[in-house]
This record gives sequence, C-alpha cells and structure tokens, in this order.
Amino acid sequence: MSQAADAHDAPTSTGIDHKKLIMWLFLASDCMFFGTLISTHLLYRKLYPTGFTDAEGHQHFIQNLFNIELTSFSTFILLMSSFLMALAVSAMHKGEIKSFRRNVLGVIFFGLIFLGCQVFEFTHFYHQGLTIQNSVLGSTFYVLTGTHGTHVAIGVLWLVLLYFYSFTGKLGGHMGALDVEVAGLYWHFVDIVWIIIFTAVYLVEYLGPSGIWGSGLPAITK
Amino acid sequence: MSHDTHHAPVASKLDLAPERSDLGLIRPDRTTGWRDWLTTVDHKKIGVLYGAFAMMYFLIGGVEALAIRTQLIRPDNDFVTARMYNQLFTMHGTTMIFLGVMPLSAAFFNFLVPLQIGARDVAFPRLNAFSLWTFVFGAFVLNASWLFEFGHLAGWFNSFDWHKALVYTDFAPANGWFSYAPLSGTFGQADASLQAPRFTGVGTDFWIIGIQVLGIASLAASFNFICTIINMRAKGMTMMRLPVFTWMTLVTSFLIILAFPAITVALIELMFDRQFGANFFNPSAGGQPVLWQHLFWIFGHPEVYILVLPAMGIVSEILPTFSGKALFGYPIIVFSGAVIGFLGFAVWSHHMFTTGLGPVPTAAFALLTMAIAVPTGVKIFNWLGTLWGGRIRFTPPMVLALGFIWMFMCGGFSGVMHSSAPADSQQQDSYFVIAHFHYVLLGGVLLGLMAGLYFWFPKIFGRMPNATVAYLASGLVILGFNMAFGPMHYLGLAGMPRRTHTYHAGNGWESWNYVATIGAYILGAGVFLAFMNLVWTAFKGKKCASDPWGGRTMEWSLPSPVPEYNFAQSPIIAARDAYFEDKHGGRRIGFENDGGNAGVHMPSQSWMPLLAGAGFLFIGLGMPMMSMHVPHAGWLVITGLTVLFVGIWLWALEGPGGYMLKTPVAPSSSGQPAPAATTSAH
Repeated sequence: MSQAADAHDAPTSTGIDHKKLIMWLFLASDCMFFGTLISTHLLYRKLYPTGFTDAEGHQHFIQNLFNIELTSFSTFILLMSSFLMALAVSAMHKGEIKSFRRNVLGVIFFGLIFLGCQVFEFTHFYHQGLTIQNSVLGSTFYVLTGTHGTHVAIGVLWLVLLYFYSFTGKLGGHMGALDVEVAGLYWHFVDIVWIIIFTAVYLVEYLGPSGIWGSGLPAITK
Repeated sequence: MSHDTHHAPVASKLDLAPERSDLGLIRPDRTTGWRDWLTTVDHKKIGVLYGAFAMMYFLIGGVEALAIRTQLIRPDNDFVTARMYNQLFTMHGTTMIFLGVMPLSAAFFNFLVPLQIGARDVAFPRLNAFSLWTFVFGAFVLNASWLFEFGHLAGWFNSFDWHKALVYTDFAPANGWFSYAPLSGTFGQADASLQAPRFTGVGTDFWIIGIQVLGIASLAASFNFICTIINMRAKGMTMMRLPVFTWMTLVTSFLIILAFPAITVALIELMFDRQFGANFFNPSAGGQPVLWQHLFWIFGHPEVYILVLPAMGIVSEILPTFSGKALFGYPIIVFSGAVIGFLGFAVWSHHMFTTGLGPVPTAAFALLTMAIAVPTGVKIFNWLGTLWGGRIRFTPPMVLALGFIWMFMCGGFSGVMHSSAPADSQQQDSYFVIAHFHYVLLGGVLLGLMAGLYFWFPKIFGRMPNATVAYLASGLVILGFNMAFGPMHYLGLAGMPRRTHTYHAGNGWESWNYVATIGAYILGAGVFLAFMNLVWTAFKGKKCASDPWGGRTMEWSLPSPVPEYNFAQSPIIAARDAYFEDKHGGRRIGFENDGGNAGVHMPSQSWMPLLAGAGFLFIGLGMPMMSMHVPHAGWLVITGLTVLFVGIWLWALEGPGGYMLKTPVAPSSSGQPAPAATTSAH
C-alpha cells in the first residue's frame, strides 16, 4: 500500500514494521474521530430525549423507529466478518494463499451484507420520516452511522483490491502477510467501533422502561 | 515489493537504465529540473519545497495584515470596506497559522528529523510527498477564494444565472479564523435544494474544504514522522539521546494526530449543515452553536502548542550551540514538552469563559490553564540555565533565539492573565487578546522559526546568509513587532474590540493605533528583508564549511549541502549531542560496516503522490462551487474523488521500487573523514 523504503532492508528500532506502526497511529487518530462523532450524538440525545417530528408534525419515538432485530443481525454479521478476517490473516502468515482468498471473500461478502442492511435501514428510516434536515437526531444519526458505513465500504474496497492482487502472484512472503495484516487491523478496528456505536446509539435506547435518556415513551412497544 | 528489479549500484541516478515499475510504467527516477522536484521523495527537497511555500504564504498573510493595519491607522478610515476587512482578517489568521507557521515547521521536520536520528529518509517517502502536495493544493483552494472575490468585484459573474442565487457576496472566508457557528452555519429550514439559509457566503465553504484538505496533509505527515522517529533511529540513538528538536517534532506530531480529528468532524458537521441542510449548529432546529466552540477549541488549543513546540525545539538546539554548553536539564525539557502536550488537551474551555460554562468547569479550566504555565516556565528557566556561565557567541540565529525567549515570555505573562476567568471576561474579544497571541505566535514562534532558518540555511544550501543584513532585519522585526503589538495591550484594556472595521475619533485610541500601524510597517519591512536575505543566500550566498557554527547534532557531521543519500553508512550513536562528543569528547561516532561499498538503498521517485494530491484540488474547488449553485459543479467533486482513488491505487500497484546508490569513499569536501574510510577505525 505505502512505501517503506527500508522496511525489509534494516530492522526497525522497535522491531515493529513501519506499516503496522503507522496503521496503529492512524487507528489512534480514528479513535478521536469517532469519539467526537459519538459524543455529538450522545449529547444531543441527552438534550433532546424525545425522538423527532416528521414533516406532517407527527411525533416519533426512537424505539419505534429502530428495528433492533435487524441491527442485531447486521452487528452479528460484522462480528463474524472479523472472525473470517482473523482466519485470512492467519492463512497469509502460513502462506496458504487459497485459504486466504476463501476467507477474504467471506469478509467481503459479510461486509456487503452489513452495508446492505445499512442501506435498507436508512431507506426505512427515511420513509418513516427521519431525515438529515428535519431534526438534530437525523443529522447526528445519519452522519455518525454513515461515516462508519463509509469506513466499512473503504474496507470492502481495500479487501477486493487485495483479493484481485493476490492473483498477480505478487502478494506473498513477509511483506504480503504484512499488507494483509494491516488491512486486518483496519477491519477489526472498524468492527470494534461498530460495537461501541451499536451500544451507545441503539442498545441504550432500550435500557429501562423508557430508555436511558428518559424519552417519555411509556414502555417499549415492540 | 521485490528486489529482483534492482540494478547494480550506480554512482548517480542518471546512470540508471529505464526501469519499469510493477505497473509497467517507467519510474521518474532519472528526471532532472522541475520534473525532479515534482516527483521527488527526498525528505530534504520536500523540506525545501515546504519552506518555500510557507515563506510565500507568510508574505501573503503579511500583506493582508498590513492592509488591516492601514485601515486602522486613523479613525473612520475607509481604506477597505467592512466586508473586505472581514475577509482580510480571516484570511490573515488562517494563512499565517495553516499556510505559514505549520508548513514552515513541517519544513524543519522534513529536513532535520532523518538527519538528526541518523536515518536514510522518512519511513514512507511517497506518503511524505503526498503530504506536501496535499498541503500545496489545499493552500491553493483556500486562496482561490480570493480569485473568486476579485472576479466578483470586477463584475465577471454578473451575467451568470447562478450568481443571482448568491445573496451574500463574501467569496473569501470572512468568519474569523475559528469560524464560530451560527455565523458560519445556517438558520431556518432547508429548501428544495437541501440548503438552509446562511449568514455568510461561499467563503466559508472555501474555508471548510481548505482546512479539511490541509488537515489531511498534516495528519499524513504526522503519522509518517512518529513512525520515523520511533522506528528509524540509528543504532545507539536511544530516545533520551534524541536531539530536543526531534523530541518536539514527536510531541507535535502526536498532538496533530489526536487533535485534528476533532476539527475534521466539526468541519464535516458544518459542511453537512451548509451543503445538505443538517442541523448540527442550526439554532432554529435545536442545534447548539456552542458545540462548535467546544469542538473547535478541543482542536484549537492543542493547535497553539502544535505551533509553538517546534519553535521551542529549534531554540533548544540553537542556545546550547552558541553558549558552548550542553542544554541545561535535557530530561526536564523533554518531559516539560510532553507535559505541555498532555495538558494542552485539558485547557480548551479557557477560550470560552464568557459562554457561561458554570462555576465548576470554569474553575477547573482556570486551574489547568495556570498549571500549563509551569512546564512552560520550566523550559524558560532551563534555557536561561543553558546561557548561564556559557561562552556566548552572538550570531543572527542566536540573536533571534534570545528574542524568542524575551518576546515569548511577554506573551506568556499576558497568557497567564487570561487564565483568571474574571479578568478574562474583561479581555475577551479585545485587542488585549490580539496583543497576547501575537506575542506568542509572532514574537515567539516566528522569531524561533526565523532563528531556525538562519541557523540551518548553511546546512541546507551550503551557503552563509549575510550577517549584516540579518542583524538589521532582526532589529527591524523586534523593534517593529513591539511597536505594533505592545500598544495593543493598552488599546484592549481601553476597550477597543478586536475585528472592528473602524473606530470613531474621541475614544482615545487614535495615537496608539497610529503607532501600531507604523510598527507593523517596520515589522513587515524587517520580515521581507530577512526573507529576501535568505532567498539571496540560497542562490548567491558565500559558500561555507559543513559545520560553520560548531554544531552538536548529527546533521552537522554531513557535508553541506547534504548528499541525497544522507549517511554513506549508518552511524552508531554513542552519546547525546553525538557530533559534539565526536569532535570534543571521548565518545566517537561509529559506522555500521556493510562489507564493502554496496551502496545506499534509495527509494524510487513517483508521480502518484502528486496525482493523488491533485484530486483534492478538484474536490476543493468543486465543493464551494456546488454551494454557489454553479451547474455541474458536483461532477468536479466526483472527478476529484476519482483522481484521488486512481492516484492511491496506482501508487499501491507501482510498489516502492528503489535502487542502490554508490557513495564516495574519498574524504568529503568538508574536510572530515568520509564514513567509509573510518569504519574500521572505531
């Protein structure tokens, strides 16, 4: 992906490959990035605990909007994709390129399922009346989860390119395994971020009878 | 990735046979002239380019400052309109911070860090080039707003339909450098085009995308430098032997990677508000404008230390050199720098005392702000300790470095005054604040950076700046600076608000404004003279030896200008101030024996960083034009994203490449023994 002029010529001071180190640094930075987005969403949830009002003036509660079963399913799928990613990295370290391809195809497939669920969810919410323009909730929700979705999409694109690159025969050895491992670090990170988003954005709305923010909804109606 | 395409070692890259990359394209390794500069991955050339662009933008920002001061020279002046005045002070601040100080610091990072730690280059040479070009294009986008503004003033756009949609006509950013919402944001409901009414014109959109692109450049560069410093130190270069400048680069880079995401998100949110009718900061839909202030200053306060820590690192190199002593309290200076970095994240709300945070947060942020003065004071005392009892030599860099300590302390004193919330309420948004941060950023940072330029120019170009002109320029800068900003303390306490287009006679502000403007002209002349002296030096200056100052760190052990491969053989470091110890102490620099002259592994040059960076040019021009309702402007953005993607993709496919460069065995022209000849001696 990037260039490490001396990566395989000279041992590094720490023994960690440049590419791996720079990915960790990027992820540290990305933590702050998602931290800021999640904070924005949570503080507006606390400020405006009730849901949103659609164009016709109807009040909506967020628990009625969310389809927690669907989101739980896509969360599970994303977690399993992390499992396959770990297998793909392990296969690459052992030099088993065919096993790598199989597993990475699985990761891509699961990633696409997750993205499909998100597209469905966005469409569904939009038809329920939640838009970026009509409420603060719409703005924070779509931008936060959309940014995460963009991260997943970039990850899928990256893995697709790695998959096809593996057929050129140039993806191999220590550097090849490193390239896959770095992509894996990114993929796992994006999954972990989703666990936090799933908890902070979705699950807490179901804590107690009317959600952690005290939305005023009498009880979960599902 | 593989080494099978390597040539036998060559004496010059021009001797290389045309080499095809993994992609089948010929790498631009053998280029000379402008193609060489556009495709270079050499950290030294990238540093020079950063420095050249930064100095150009310093002069542009300076012209903007002089226009501001000319407007304020007398009461009820009409040199510029109020609308133009807003654009001038916004672009002055933005230009000086993001296009002047930060890239000039980056120039030093690039040129010095690999040399100081004994490395061949940075960890990711092509990523380094990408940072440079992304900065160049981001800076261009920001300043392209001026071209639109002038086009508008000249009436070029009047015949276009989309022009009628523009209610507001400030084309250059006009919100002030921190673009507070809701002024920078929206109000009311979004219309059919998904855009809500806005308080300000497309200048804000230029600002948003410009800062976003510059942020990407800074982030990419910082990842690279942390990786380089942590991972590419020569043998024996332990962390506590690192030169202080390298240490401050490391702390600054960590600040950048942890602080910039906050502004990135804030800019995304503001962009969604303006372009797609979101409500993050829209008060009529429940958005909280104060959130912008928090997000901005969570970035903005560390940014202050991002600006000042490199200058502190530079001064920490210059003072020991010209005092003939080791830096007093090296570990405590390093530790203080790190503490400043940590505390820098915990004081952002002192910019917001007047927003009404409540007594507990206000007290906490006031205390933390006072606490951050402690490590800063520790550094000052350590610098004084370095001077104490030293054999001081006065040279242009030394004079500027001493000026740094003196002026920075003045800025620090008025800064501590701000930490007291009740006092701050009086000073908020007054010229007192202007005086304070110009003492820190101009008296501090600019003097520090100028000291660095005069100190390392002989190393960069092998030529010595004219000392007489340098002293004259330094004198003008320090005199003009104090004349311009000293009176602003008084003006601020006498009630003059900042960002005021004009003022009426009879407030008692006339005479000091007059003095300040004359001071600003003197300061401008001084900076211009100092920079022209440097430009002259780069081309025509008197040639000098490789170690003209009696330097202490590894870069002075190399010939001037530094050969493209840096160290013919990797050094083995035996002490802090390694080169000084090598010359005067018992602990000599060793060299790794590579078993004959196999050459130095050089990375191949590439067009791809430039191509990927150019994507940001299209994105950056397209986004504000979308906001202007220019037809099909969205395609410009899509083109930009495509160029960016293709650039990165080809970059990945072409591979790092590389070739072996033979290094001379004979003693170099600087008179010191060439590393290859001394390998067995140590």
